Amino acid sequence: MNKLYLWGIIITVVMLAATYYTLVITAGDSGKSLSEILSGDIVNALAIAGAVALVFITIFVVIKYVRQMQTDTADGKLAHEKWDGIGEYLNELPMGWAIMFLLTIIWGMWYFVLGYPVNAYSQIGEYNEDVAVHNAKFEKEYESITGERLVEMGESVYLAECKVCHGISADGIDGKAANLNARIEAKSVKYAIEHGANNHLLGMENPMPDRNGLMNNNTGALITDAEIDAVSTFVANKMTGAGADVFAGTCAVCHGEDGKGMESVAPNIVAFTPELVINILNHGKKGAIGAMPAFDRLNAKQKEAVGAYITSLSK
Amino acid sequence: MFHWLEKHPFFFAVAVFLVIAFAGLIEILPNFAQASRPVIGTAPYSTLELAGRHVYIKNSCNACHSQLVRPFKSETDRYGHYSLSGEYAYDRPFLWGSKRTGPDLMRVGNYRTTDWHENHMKSPTSVVPGSIMPAYAWMFTNKADIETAYAEQLTVAQFFSVPYNKPVPMKDGSTMEVKMGADLAEANKLALEQASLIAADMKDQDVKDAVANGQIPEIVALIAYMNSLK
Repeated sequence: MNKLYLWGIIITVVMLAATYYTLVITAGDSGKSLSEILSGDIVNALAIAGAVALVFITIFVVIKYVRQMQTDTADGKLAHEKWDGIGEYLNELPMGWAIMFLLTIIWGMWYFVLGYPVNAYSQIGEYNEDVAVHNAKFEKEYESITGERLVEMGESVYLAECKVCHGISADGIDGKAANLNARIEAKSVKYAIEHGANNHLLGMENPMPDRNGLMNNNTGALITDAEIDAVSTFVANKMTGAGADVFAGTCAVCHGEDGKGMESVAPNIVAFTPELVINILNHGKKGAIGAMPAFDRLNAKQKEAVGAYITSLSK
Repeated sequence: MFHWLEKHPFFFAVAVFLVIAFAGLIEILPNFAQASRPVIGTAPYSTLELAGRHVYIKNSCNACHSQLVRPFKSETDRYGHYSLSGEYAYDRPFLWGSKRTGPDLMRVGNYRTTDWHENHMKSPTSVVPGSIMPAYAWMFTNKADIETAYAEQLTVAQFFSVPYNKPVPMKDGSTMEVKMGADLAEANKLALEQASLIAADMKDQDVKDAVANGQIPEIVALIAYMNSLK
């Protein structure tokens, strides 16, 4: 018997023994018997089968090529050219290789012409699908909610988008933003009177004029500093205290005698309304405290929900 | 053919050049595609905004903040539309960042305002209770480097044809023009004009006074830059 085959058998036995030994140790560590491991997760049995197969394949391949090196003689025809004394056989291409080469070329043509341009993965495509699925789900589950659930939705949107400025408890974080627990502060009223207010927000053509356009009908003259202070405090105190006459003479024409506003004319300045909140979300606001950007990213339902939530805060 | 080429070094070199040039074209041509041109609505940075960008880079803001909104629903909900390559046309270098310890700032100008930035840079936890961002108090006293910003403007205008003093198309169909001073004095004046608009929205009296005296604290430049990110 050729010495090569003998070595092959010896190495096979040694490697199988090593595999078995490793398995026994592993089994010992995990506190299971070998048969338990084999009958457990199929992956274990497959891995062991793979290991055994690898041993046999390795030995077979090594023996094949070592035999070939021992017995083969160079009898092929050499090509005409030599490169630095190194020749090249004029052998036929191996059939398997040639077929694979040809198939690769065909696949390459398909891939460049059709595969990539038509079927390629697109990140934006996946994003668009995600958004469509989400929007469909939103429409189905949330588009028609009202009442308590709408306020809950508003609270979660508020906590995601608004709390960074207005604070978790909506108190405006020490005057850094508007306190949403009360409709309006005296300084905001004063600012609106002195600078006017852009009630284009409510879809009208005539913004609220600044102090040079605000007549006090009681006195027949432009509103004065003292009157501004009085009426600001009056409005901030929920329409109580001094300043009622100024309000009746100057503001009530548009904002109503009770301050609850008039549709398409002036907003409610006694309490928040969803309509007012939605307008500010759409257009932003600039007032006594600072500027607020528009939040166009929210969809209509989310804006409505924020409106409901903020209205619920000061009730 | 290959045998022949191997025996003729000159033509071999030509063939090698052609192959590499083809590969180069494949890589280079897409850069001229419409998608990599400035997106409509993307305007060059003004002098003050560039100075703010330098402050941003100097303080390594990009180590914690990215400027790249990826196309995922969760990100576009939070930050706005996903980023397009043409939006970085005037960013040299772009500041994508590689890590988000803080939030993305690609479109921060859409949902934060001057006064918020002022509060936040002075004391981040005063507006975001759980924030681990440090306060950047020195920005309220250090002065912005308008000279360097103007030098960069001149350079990019000359070498990369960045459209300063030219109409730039906006999304609503209108055009806007970002002005670049003809000399440093005019650049300073333009920067100061923009700075006083921002200082008017701020509360810190020292900053207001500095701007009134013709000086521009770093915070003003930084806020101008933040507000320009849309």
